[in-house]
Amino acid sequence: MNKFIVLLKKEFVQMLRDLKVIWLPIVFIFLGITQPIVTYYLPSILGALGGGQGITIDPSMTAQKGGEVLAATLGSQFDQLGFMILVISMMGIIQTDKANGMLAFILTRPVTVISYIAGKIVSNYLIAAFSVTIGYFVSYLYVNYLFTDVSFSHMITALLFYLVWVLFIVSFTTMISTIFNSQGIIALISIVFLIGCRIIVGLSPVIDFVNSASMSKHAMEVLISGSVNSKAIDNALVTLFWIVLILFVINYWIANKKVNHE
Amino acid sequence: MKLEIKNVTKTFREKIAVNNFSMKLKPGECVGLIGPNGAGKSTLIKVIADIIDPQAGEVLLNGKKISKMKREIGYLPQYPNFFHWMTAKETLTFMGQLSGLQKKELTISIPEILTKVGLKGEENSKVGTFSGGMKQRLGIAQALLHKPSLIIMDEPVSALDPIGRREVLNLIEEIKKDTTILLSTHILGDAEEICERFVIIKNGTKIEDTTITELLNRNSKNKIYVEITAKDQEWIDVVKKLPFVEEIEVIGHKVKIIVENIDKNKNVILENALEHEVDIVKFEIHNDTLEEIFLKLVVGNE
Repeated sequence: MNKFIVLLKKEFVQMLRDLKVIWLPIVFIFLGITQPIVTYYLPSILGALGGGQGITIDPSMTAQKGGEVLAATLGSQFDQLGFMILVISMMGIIQTDKANGMLAFILTRPVTVISYIAGKIVSNYLIAAFSVTIGYFVSYLYVNYLFTDVSFSHMITALLFYLVWVLFIVSFTTMISTIFNSQGIIALISIVFLIGCRIIVGLSPVIDFVNSASMSKHAMEVLISGSVNSKAIDNALVTLFWIVLILFVINYWIANKKVNHE
Repeated sequence: MKLEIKNVTKTFREKIAVNNFSMKLKPGECVGLIGPNGAGKSTLIKVIADIIDPQAGEVLLNGKKISKMKREIGYLPQYPNFFHWMTAKETLTFMGQLSGLQKKELTISIPEILTKVGLKGEENSKVGTFSGGMKQRLGIAQALLHKPSLIIMDEPVSALDPIGRREVLNLIEEIKKDTTILLSTHILGDAEEICERFVIIKNGTKIEDTTITELLNRNSKNKIYVEITAKDQEWIDVVKKLPFVEEIEVIGHKVKIIVENIDKNKNVILENALEHEVDIVKFEIHNDTLEEIFLKLVVGNE
């Protein structure tokens, strides 16, 4: 436990020095602002630039409910550009330590692999969750200002669901970073796999049940319809199961010294 | 502490890096692991430091598996790499805490150890700005910080310039008094200076385990070294036929003659040379240097 705190602290100091604690939240704040602002002003922007001739703008577009816009922030901003940035910011999470020998070096100390992994995932999850939450709150404020109000409890419920999906993103990227040695490959595999997960959401109920990306859909549903899908809790449990499995794989991979491939 | 390496074998795919290697270190001993590049030194060191698992065999420290005894090991990798964004002090605090030291002890021991390795005044410089020699010294500092009873060093001086080498060697000489040391090197002179005992490894196999004096005695065969001019090459054939000559080695104009009994035979050879009117440039009784013995051991039995 003590070693875990030491490693956790080191991760935080590193993020502070890399200024990751500043730029990652800023990125998400921008993404959070984009959706409500663009949705609100798009008709006037188009009107001003397009000359207004021959363009008909569906009036329902500006008449969107606040919940729908906030859901679009999750679905169109965070789930696309947002998580790509998240993955890219974390692709070296373990790979860097492997490449410069720090992983092997740290493990020559009386440190368990578990506390090493926990330090990595907890720190990176906290910064990711913090950034997503900040961006989401800013989006919430703009939505409430420009569109109809979204109830606070719905907003929080949706956020909690979404953060489960974020935990899955962090763990999955960590696993890929443990197994592969090139940052490009790590980013590619993580992004393709996670986008794939997100795209197939809604295709079939069976896939949705085991697909962690459904958590994002459940979050959006809460915002749009105001009711919690009964499958959401099951889905959260399945996601937690995947995360435990992922942690097991990472632990197995490092503890069996597969990382020393030279 | 007593270190036992028992029948360790490690292969990378088809290539055997360490082959059935066994060795014992007594407490307080300083052993040099010597071998040419690619002999398996680093692999063996990594197995001992529990960075890689061997396919077969085990490493025991005081009878317990090395993975349970990490607290007692100080490890210096061949190219010590630290987090470049940390300062020297932070690095040592981090590594020290990972070894289970309390912050209170560290505030006392870190300035001490930095002075010892000659990094005083660099406490708050970023490791990223350090030169190779400074990193090496920081590496030694972190290996010593938690006062381990076994220190494993992989090529501690090979990457350093002569001044840095000198300093690090002096440092090792000093810590030798308190701990068991195992270090690897391909430079014999370094090992000769600090270690009493050598283990020579080649192609992953132990080919020699001995002390310097023993090695020198064993190899100080009766050898005469004669340097002659080009016109007297035929004389070599004459010497070959002498009954007490065991072996002759010719390198250019230098002839190395191994005889049965140096005291009795050396004058006979000299007389013989004078008889044949050989133009002698140099005539001496020769002992192999460690370098030569090493080369013979490593390259010889190919």
